[in-house]
Amino acid sequence: MNTALISVDKVTKVYPGGTRALDEVTLSFEEGEWTTIMGPSGSGKTTLLNIVGCLDLPTSGTVRIAGNEIGGVGQAALTRLRRENVGLIFQQYHLVPYLTALENVMLAQYYHGSLDGRKAVAALQNVGLEHRLDHRPAHLSGGEQQRVCIARALVNEPAILLADEPTGNLDQMNGNVVLHLIQRLHEEGRAIVLVTHNPDISGLGDRTIRIVDGSVTQDYYHGGDKNGG
Amino acid sequence: MFAQLLRESILRRKSRFAMGVASVLIGAAVVTALFTVSLGIGDQIGQEFTKYGADLMLQPQSNTIQIGLPGVNIGSVTEQKYINESDLWMIKTIPHRANVLGFAPFLYQVVTVNNGSDTQQVVLAGTYFNKTIQILQPASPQDPSTFTTGIADISSWWNVKGSWITNQNDTTSAMVGSNVAQKLNLTVGDSFTVSYAGAQNASTPTQNVTSATNVKQLKVIGIVETGGAEDNQIFVNLSVAQDLSSRPGKVDTVQVSALCVHCPVQDMASEIQGKIPGIQATTITQLTSAEMNTLDTYQSMMAFVTAVALLASMMGIFTTMTANVVERRREIGLMKSIGAQNRSIASLFLTEAAMTGWIGGVGGFVVGIILAQFIGLRVFSTTISMRWGVLAVAIPIAVGVSLLASALPVRRAMGVEPAIVLRGE
Repeated sequence: MNTALISVDKVTKVYPGGTRALDEVTLSFEEGEWTTIMGPSGSGKTTLLNIVGCLDLPTSGTVRIAGNEIGGVGQAALTRLRRENVGLIFQQYHLVPYLTALENVMLAQYYHGSLDGRKAVAALQNVGLEHRLDHRPAHLSGGEQQRVCIARALVNEPAILLADEPTGNLDQMNGNVVLHLIQRLHEEGRAIVLVTHNPDISGLGDRTIRIVDGSVTQDYYHGGDKNGG
Repeated sequence: MFAQLLRESILRRKSRFAMGVASVLIGAAVVTALFTVSLGIGDQIGQEFTKYGADLMLQPQSNTIQIGLPGVNIGSVTEQKYINESDLWMIKTIPHRANVLGFAPFLYQVVTVNNGSDTQQVVLAGTYFNKTIQILQPASPQDPSTFTTGIADISSWWNVKGSWITNQNDTTSAMVGSNVAQKLNLTVGDSFTVSYAGAQNASTPTQNVTSATNVKQLKVIGIVETGGAEDNQIFVNLSVAQDLSSRPGKVDTVQVSALCVHCPVQDMASEIQGKIPGIQATTITQLTSAEMNTLDTYQSMMAFVTAVALLASMMGIFTTMTANVVERRREIGLMKSIGAQNRSIASLFLTEAAMTGWIGGVGGFVVGIILAQFIGLRVFSTTISMRWGVLAVAIPIAVGVSLLASALPVRRAMGVEPAIVLRGE
């Protein structure tokens, strides 16, 4: 039986100015599960990912990560929960430009308090970049930068990977390389939450959640419908 | 990793880092220059003021007795009293002893001077020229056990033709006032004889013998011109005057030169009176007040200019650090998103600020020393000695100013939300 890694219960997020990005969303993300979140621009996908990834706090509702409720914790505890449980993959990679591929990966180890060069090299080998260790981002292709980003997300062995449009800035060939990598990580048992506009990608996961105007309109497993849709 | 982040942060923004350093450098240079000039010139002003004479005059308290019949006052008798030379070391043990720049005792007597052809009655003053005295019980263990002082220190402005008496055991040399020299036709190198009139009166004409202690053969080694009473006097070592008048260990007055910027000179007078019994200390108020006021005004001006310079430095650092934080906003967001705590972000920026302050402080010290020399030569027409103590002040001030000016930008960095990396801001 799957266990909820992250659960959100009646979560609402209202930004200053009154924009209601999420409206009483209730969801849970299970171990080893690949969940794809889809929806139009401005629907609240990224807001949901921010809250699930402990990057932001909800206006109301409760969020639990690995059994810990994040509502009442301070910034320091929230950061600790994030770095111990969540790996983040960004559409724009967000690599530190003046660090090499290896150093970018080690940066996550540094803030995690577990610097280990061999483990960082292994993480880059895992994404097929063992020959690019000493290259800075400017000397890497988009696909390679994204793979460094994935290696950085993996290096501290988080329980769940959160990916925001991981192929959004890549051509089809590089996009496929990245998707195959994510697929492999999923097959190895990694829980993944992936935000995308691309319906083809959603078919690769176990489950798809559709959000429109801050509300979940569809939540289904590819083996069968869960909440309708 | 921290060192690498710091190094790259600096190297990638060399010009901005250099601007920050320059901001601190300018402030530190002004601080160094003004502190150095302030201390150097402050001392010099104090020394200059001592040229104009003593700040305190010590005299023995005397008892005056009215004599006569009831209702008929026929005069008064004042008991001749002296200050004991052996008590003078206590002047350097008062609470404000650091402000005692020097002192000189005086024992006066009227002597008959004979240079062969001319004879004159002249006031002869015995004093210290450059004497090292023992402080028998220093007020603090850190205090030195000796103190070298004398008229050469407190009246260094005297115009002396020839030389000063430098040996405190010299019993044959004399410095002669210019009027005395002129009247007796004395020049440097001439010898003359002095005899103590009191001793002559005491001896009987029939004896016609003069004691060796009442007559002295002296040699002129310097002619003093001050434009004051000194021009009419002869100066010898105190022991010579004491021997001549048979008053060993006695002193009529003591002139004390005090530099009193932060203490009222009246307090020093009270402290000396408290230390040495039977002494009356009188302040020369106008002079010391002027001295204090001038130094106070000078240092207030220095403090104001220093504050303005440091404020300008702070604004420079604030601007560069703010630009740094704004430019690195996404990088900060990324660091936070992958697990950096606020303290990690703050320490990165504050270390950079501290380095900016340190480098600027050291550079500013060097520039400030040069600037101090320039100010000294152009404004005060004197060179100013370098004071390493200023370095110990300039660098902490530079680092402190840099850190203080960085406080708001660092707070802003700590406020960057990690969510911006996902929102793509």
